[in-house]
Parts: sequence; structure tokens; C-alpha cells
Amino acid sequence: MCLMVGKPAPDFEASAYIDGDFKKVKLSDHKGKWLVLCFYPGDFTYV
Amino acid sequence: MSVSVDSNFSHKIWQETELSKMVEGGVPFPMITDAGGRIGSLYGVYDQEAGVDVRGRFIIDPEGIVQAMEVLTPPVGRNVSELIRQVKAYQHHQKTGEVMPSGWQPGKPTLKPGPGLAGKVWEVWKPDKAF
Repeated sequence: MCLMVGKPAPDFEASAYIDGDFKKVKLSDHKGKWLVLCFYPGDFTYV
Repeated sequence: MSVSVDSNFSHKIWQETELSKMVEGGVPFPMITDAGGRIGSLYGVYDQEAGVDVRGRFIIDPEGIVQAMEVLTPPVGRNVSELIRQVKAYQHHQKTGEVMPSGWQPGKPTLKPGPGLAGKVWEVWKPDKAF
């Protein structure tokens, strides 16, 4: 599928580290809120 | 939420040993683990050759619609003020229907789209406002 502004964000479910715990996170569970999704190359990188 | 190909174990140690020293209590959002670049591939930011997600940033509105995106290669970091400005601009638009000209900052004049404004933008907006 092709990602495009003005179109739905692709939904996904994945594991995450939050509040000292490992939890499942689902993008569509955050509907109703503004959300920023921020990808980065790796933990401990400099920038 | 942040996303990288690192494991949750790596996220935990990074939060504990470094991020918590930059942000009191550590970063408050989920640090997602993107094994194999599965999510990055969905968003077009997974670099298969390097095996990492590049710096992709997506603003998603309450309806789940992608309103904005920015993608950078690894050496250059992002501008958080610009991110916040864009979120505020989209929120203002969804509330009022007004549109934000180039260089708009919260509290600055907006434009009300309509036939009356066509060809008349020059009267209310000048290029020096873009900076």
C-alpha cells in the first residue's frame, strides 16, 4: 500500500517499552487523539 | 510514539542509562520495537540495505488520517518547534476551516478561503511573512 498525506495511516500492532513495562501498542487504539509517529535509526545513536 | 528496529531490552537500557538523564523520568511515550522493519516498510521509511528505519515523522489526526510527514536521512536531527507549529496549524484548521499561510505561527493572521480572496492574497500576505 502507498502512504499519502490526507489518507488513513496504516494500522499496526507491535510491542513497546513504556512505563517500565513491555506492552502491546496498537495505532488505532489512539483514535480520537493527535498522534506523532517518529521513526529513528537506532537507540544510542548521536542525533 | 517512537519507533526503531531495536528490541524492547535495548529501549529499556537506553531509557534508563541515557534518556532519563535528558528528560526527568524518561521519555513519556511508548518506544515501539519494529523487528525486521515491518512498520517502517508500511510507512516507506525502512532502509532495507542498512536494516534500520530512517528519520520519518508523521502527524496523525484524531480520525487516523496522516496530515503531515517529514523524512530525513540519519545525520540530521529534527526541529521540534516546527513539529509543534504544524500540529497547532492543523488543529486550528480543523476547528475553524481557516488556512495558514507560509510562515504562520500561532496567534498570527490566518486566511479565510473563498472566492473573495482569489487574486487578493497579495493584499494581506507578503513574502517577508514566510520567514
